This record gives sequence, C-alpha cells and structure tokens, in this order.
Amino acid sequence: MAETKNFYASIISYTIPPISIILIDLLFYIPRSSDFWNFIRLVPFYTGIYFWSSQRPDAFNGISVFLLGIIADVMSANPLGINVMTFLCLYFLATRLSTYINVKRFSYSWLLFALSITLSIMFKFLITSIFNRMWIPLNAALLELLLTITIYPLLARYYIWVERRYIHLEDRYEKI
Amino acid sequence: MKRQRVLFLKENYVLRVLKSFFLAGLFIIALLLILVHKIDITIVSSVSQGVMYVSAPLIHIATLPAEGLSYGYKKIAEIMYIYEENERLRQENSELYLLKDRLRALQTENRIFKKLLHHIDIPQTISYTARVIAENNNAFSNSLLLYIGNASDFIKSGYAVVNASGLIGRIDIVSGKYARVTLITDINSKIPVVSQKSRDRGILVGNNTRKMNLIFPPLMAELHKDDILVTSGSGGGLPPDIPVAKIKRAGVDTITAIPLFSPSELEIVKIIAYDISPDEKTAKELE
Repeated sequence: MAETKNFYASIISYTIPPISIILIDLLFYIPRSSDFWNFIRLVPFYTGIYFWSSQRPDAFNGISVFLLGIIADVMSANPLGINVMTFLCLYFLATRLSTYINVKRFSYSWLLFALSITLSIMFKFLITSIFNRMWIPLNAALLELLLTITIYPLLARYYIWVERRYIHLEDRYEKI
Repeated sequence: MKRQRVLFLKENYVLRVLKSFFLAGLFIIALLLILVHKIDITIVSSVSQGVMYVSAPLIHIATLPAEGLSYGYKKIAEIMYIYEENERLRQENSELYLLKDRLRALQTENRIFKKLLHHIDIPQTISYTARVIAENNNAFSNSLLLYIGNASDFIKSGYAVVNASGLIGRIDIVSGKYARVTLITDINSKIPVVSQKSRDRGILVGNNTRKMNLIFPPLMAELHKDDILVTSGSGGGLPPDIPVAKIKRAGVDTITAIPLFSPSELEIVKIIAYDISPDEKTAKELE
C-alpha cells in the first residue's frame, strides 16, 4: 500500500512542475491591448525552469525541460528546437551553478537567475540569428531579458506556493 | 570484512557519466530538430500540429474569462459613448448615401470596360472570420493563434489573413479547430508587394520589429515616404491589391516600411481562401 502511494507521489512530483509552468503561461498568452505583454510571454517558462531545476532537482529533469521547450516552440511559432536548446542551456546553468551558491537564500537565487537567464537569452539570440541568417533586434531581446529578471520574484512566489502545497515530498512519502 | 569501495565508486561514476551524456543527447536532439525544421520535412509539421492540437484548446479555455471581461468593458464603453457614436454614424451614413449611386455607376462602367478589353478577373475568394485567442510578438517571433471552429477543413496553410487595415499575415499551421498565423512582421515572412502609386515591385521582409525592409526594388524605383505597398499577387500565393504597409523611409540604399495594422487591435480577423489552382471544368478546358 505504502509502495503504491509512494509510486503515485513520485509521479505527481514529476508532473507538477511542468504543469505549474504551463498553467501560468497560458494566462500570459491571453491577447491584451498593451504591447508590453509581448515581451513577457515566455517568462513563466524561464523562471519555472530555473526555479524547479535549482530548488527541486529531484522533481525536475531534462525530459521535462525538453517537453516544455517543444510546447514553447509551438506556442510561440519559433522553429522547433530553438526554445528547447535555450531551456536546456538554462537548465544546465541552473543545475551546475546552484551547487556552488546557496540558492535557498532568495537574493543569491535571484542573482544566479539573472546570470543564467542572461547567458541563455544571449544563446537564444545567437541561434535564432544563425537560423534566420539575419540579426534579430537586440534591443527587444534585452528588454525581454530585463523584464524577465524583474518579474522573477513574483513568479517565484507562485512556484514556492506550488512546491509547498503539492510536492513537499518529506510530508507525502511514507516509510516502507 | 573488507568493503568493496572501488566497485561502489565505479557504479556511481558510470551513472554520472550517463547523466551527463543524457543532457548532451537532448542538446543534440534539439539541434537536429532545428536542422530538420530548416529542411522542412513532414514529421516536423506533424509534431507541431500535434502539440498545437493539445495546447491551443487549453489557451482558448484560459482566455475565456479575459474575453468575458473584455466584452463587458466594451459594452459599458459603448453605452457611455452611444450618443456620440450615433451622431457620427448618421453623418457617415448620409455621406455613404451620396457615394452609393456614384459607386454603382462606376461598377457598371468598369464591367463594360472589362468586357471590351476581355479582362480576366481573379478568381472569386471565400473568406472566413476567426477570433484571435493568443498572440506572440517579441524579439524572436511574431505570430497569432486563431480559433477557426468548423472551417478548419477549408482553411489551408498559406492563406492570407487580413483585418480592416490590410494584410496581417499568412496561415502557418492548421490543427483541429485552431490555426497559427505568421505575421508579416515575423523574421520568416516575405511578401511580394507593389507600390500602389508607382507600381514598383519588391519583397517586403519582416525582422520581428515594426520596421520592415523592402528588398529587390527596381533601380529607378519611384518610392516615397507614405506610399502604400499592396500585395502584387506574384507567385499566386496571395490575392493582389491587399494593402500591406506604408513606406516610412525611402533612402538610397534602404527602404523601410511599417505595417498598417496595430498589434493591439487584432481581435477578429478574416482569412481569405485564395486558391488559383484551376477547378475541374477549367482544367479540362485548358487541356
């Protein structure tokens, strides 16, 4: 009985992070009268991937990142693979760098996010430009980057709430 | 008893190496996806269609509360300004009454001239109205997601999407009851255009900003600021004479134009089913 419960708990722990990212991003895709929203459509993906991979690497892996990338590519009409590579880059940076910095302290976590997302968006800028054989507007990419860094604390609160409410494994796992 | 520490460490090491290769493998798959997308094979569009089939209804559900709020806000605004609007419409109506007779006379005259010149008309087009349910205009791509409902069987990739201002984009993917539109401002968009005034041709290229570039204009092109560019109909992909953009700067080396639509006004759009492949009867006649 306990084994079955733990099995379901592990499935939930792996599905909750991507679902939490997709659900919040759907709200960002609603058409609005202001152009400002266009620059933050993918912010829930960036913040979510960074948050879950740095704070809960046990419940978030490369496959989740890959699938989220495919969804982001289709939703934002990017060539398949561009967002996948960007998200994998962000995931790689977040998992590697979070081992050196205490990400439980929010200011450090934010700083690390700023660093990871800057490198990831620059990487995306490069691969998109190479793909199209034309430089895409850098100022728009920088605006997206700044807004992403600014909004991170707000979305991190949401992910912290999801984590505490749904996948706090210590509380949910039973001893076999 | 001695502990087998070496074996323990080796197992752990193998797992770690496999884990690192796993991420590298995902990177390689992503790179292959980009390359395959460039080649444009069917499997990629099938994956896109599949993901859109699942994600588009979810986005639509998420937009419903916002749509309700927006509808309520618009209704209140309409009631508030109903008298001014009524006055404006009356004035416009009287002007249109005057134009109606003139228009009829011109239509008849046009029909006679066409008959005299044996003019071949462009095929009749059918249009479908669709609602925008999601938009995405950022540095990396410019697109829209439309709810097309039961018209999905009649809408194909490549069809023109217009609003009251003019051309806004082309259908990219149709999946289920939804369609994705690549806007004319997108970096992948290339529209054959012609100047409404001077009839000089060129290709209007998007770059993910509001400023588009006109490439391949004729050497002695007479293009000026504020000239309207319309679709040329070259290649048969788009119907001719749909307004596309207005020239913002006509320099010696670069010509830039801005689209006629504003992203914030994209709510309801029209899809023009323009297919110039001949019908059965015409094909037989041509044979």
